[in-house]
This record gives sequence, structure tokens and C-alpha cells, in this order.
Amino acid sequence: MHGSADDPLIARVAAELRRPVPLRPDFDARVMAAVHRAIPSLPVRAWTWLREPRVVAVSPIGVLAMAAGLAGILLVGAVSREPGAGSREPIAESREPMAAASVTFVLVAPQARSVALAGDFNDWDASRVLMRREASGLWTVDVPLTPGRYRYVFVVDGRRFVADPAAPRAVGDDFGTPTSVVTVGGGALRAAEGSL
Amino acid sequence: MVEGDSDGVLVRRVLDGDTEAFGGLLARHRERGLRFATAMLGDAAEAEEAVQDAFVRAYRSLRTCRESERFGAWFLRILVNRCRTRGAMRRRSERVFVYDEAALERAAARPAGDPGWREEIDRALARLDALQREAFLLKHVEGLEYEEMARLTGARIPALKMRVKRACDHLRVLLREVDDARIR
Repeated sequence: MHGSADDPLIARVAAELRRPVPLRPDFDARVMAAVHRAIPSLPVRAWTWLREPRVVAVSPIGVLAMAAGLAGILLVGAVSREPGAGSREPIAESREPMAAASVTFVLVAPQARSVALAGDFNDWDASRVLMRREASGLWTVDVPLTPGRYRYVFVVDGRRFVADPAAPRAVGDDFGTPTSVVTVGGGALRAAEGSL
Repeated sequence: MVEGDSDGVLVRRVLDGDTEAFGGLLARHRERGLRFATAMLGDAAEAEEAVQDAFVRAYRSLRTCRESERFGAWFLRILVNRCRTRGAMRRRSERVFVYDEAALERAAARPAGDPGWREEIDRALARLDALQREAFLLKHVEGLEYEEMARLTGARIPALKMRVKRACDHLRVLLREVDDARIR
């Protein structure tokens, strides 16, 4: 009993909504693949944590990419996204060259035939950073970025420029289309280097 | 053996390192999750993503599932939160996202039954306040008691009762005419 029998209309609505939802045949496989990808084994996680305790995932890939339903960005290392950033600029002074952090950019575009990434880090040359298609129309690419702020945009099918809805828009955009901003911090990286 | 194992046994097996046992939990709870997410989000593809996301989060946080025999209720709480987040982000992204072709082309698969009636219901649900829609689905479709709904949503029981009542009132207004024509 679902408590709606006293109102026939509500009962009919509820009955319709209780019908099983059609499921894609590969649904279980996709979920289990995502589960396997989600976390490495506990020993690996523990080892990673012990070695790199200051590496901060500001926003998990699942939240940003899936929850947006459209696009997202995985921020590994001391990476954050800040509004109002302009072109690349150092965040902190450093006495030595800063190590690059691996930043994974993600776009969910099931219908796309190709997706590339253009930004301050590759002179806005979309041919230099092509993204890989994974399951469920997920496109990803890892880009090593030294600390700084970068504007970027996804280039879909070689012609459509798509800002990342999960990231802040660049202010004072001069690219002719909305662009997004990612910031890679330096403090955590220096600390991580020091621990090795 | 997975099918005969209780949720508690499956949870224990996963925690002991048998990741494949999670498939048993997935098979047991996906249908309810998809049903809720589809009605909540109004889009089958996005519902699948939400459910997948919720399962991955459940797997990651499985050690925090204190009552493993009640994995289903715990999972539903995760899913409700994922749907809330997706709903909020979708409202935001719909204002700014320029590449909506894919979303438009991914027409939602409809459950079997009366397609026209279901479409009218989905349309009416979409016009409800999200919290009212959520409360209605948990109460009338998933059959939860108000105490369970309160635990799951963090809302107080009087507030939940009011949300359900308002959702029902709105649905009656929105669907009465269609329903009358349909059953005549």
C-alpha cells in the first residue's frame, strides 16, 4: 500500500510512475566499470595518501562531469577554479621552476565526433590537444599544467566552441566566444616535492 | 552466490575486497533508483547518469553504511542528494550551456504503459517545485513512511506532509482533465 488509494487520480499517477524504467543493456557493465575506475585498491589509496598528503582534489570528476550532465573538469593537484581570471599569470613567486600538475579535462558529449581542447596552455591551437572518447560519450584529456591561471574552451567537431559550464567564465574574454578558467595552485606542489 | 545473499552479506563481501559482489547490490537496487531518478529528473539518460553516480559514491563510501542490511535506504538517500545536485546544476547550466544538441537528441526512453498518460504525468511533475516532487515520489511511488522520509531528506515530518499535500493538489489540477478524458 502506498497511501494513495484514497484518491483514485493520485493512485493512478503513482501506479504509472511505479512501472519499471527501460534499462540500456550495458547499464550494469557501465556502472561496474565506473566502480572499478572510481577508486584504486585500499593499499594503493593509502600509499598515495601517505606519499602525497597535500594533493587536493578540489572537485571530484563525478560531481562536475556527471552532475552537470554536460561537462566538467577534474582537478588534480592544487587546482582550483576562480572567477574573473584573465590570461595565465603566476600565482606565487618561486625560487625554482614549478612542477606541472596533471589536470584532467572532461566533456560529456555523446554525439560529438571529435573534441579538442584549446587554451592559454597551447596557444589556443585545438589541433595540439585532442580528447579521448570513453564510455557514455565522455571525452577526457590529461594536460600537465604549471601553476597559473588558464583560460580554455572545448572545440567540438572542429567548429563548435563550448565553454565548461562547471567552471567559471573568463572575464574580459577576447576569444570571441565564452571561455572558462582553471587555476593551478603552486603551494601544494612545492610541499609535495619537499616530501619526496 | 550473490542472488541469495542479503544486502548485509553483500556489503560485507565488498568491504572484504570482493568488488564483484557490488554487482549484486546494483542488480537489486537499480530499478528503484532508475524509477525515482527518471521521475525526479524527467530524462532517462540523465537519470541513468545520476544512478550510476550514486552507485559509485555508494561504493566509495560503503564503509560508512552503518546498517548494511538497509543498504537500499542508504543508497536512496545518496540518490536523492545526487538528483538534487543535478537538478540545481542543470538549472544553472541550462542558462549558460551552448552545446545542447546532444541533450536534445537523447530523447528520453519512456517506460512501458500508456505513453501519452506518462508524458502528461512527466509534464505535470516537471511543473512541481522540486522538493514537492521529491516528497510526492518518496511517499506515493516509493511508499516510504514519513519517518523514513524525514531520515532520508533531513526535513521535518510536518514540512514533508505539506510538500506531499501541495504536490497532490497541484497534480490534481494539472491532470484532472487529462485523466477524465483518458478513463472515459
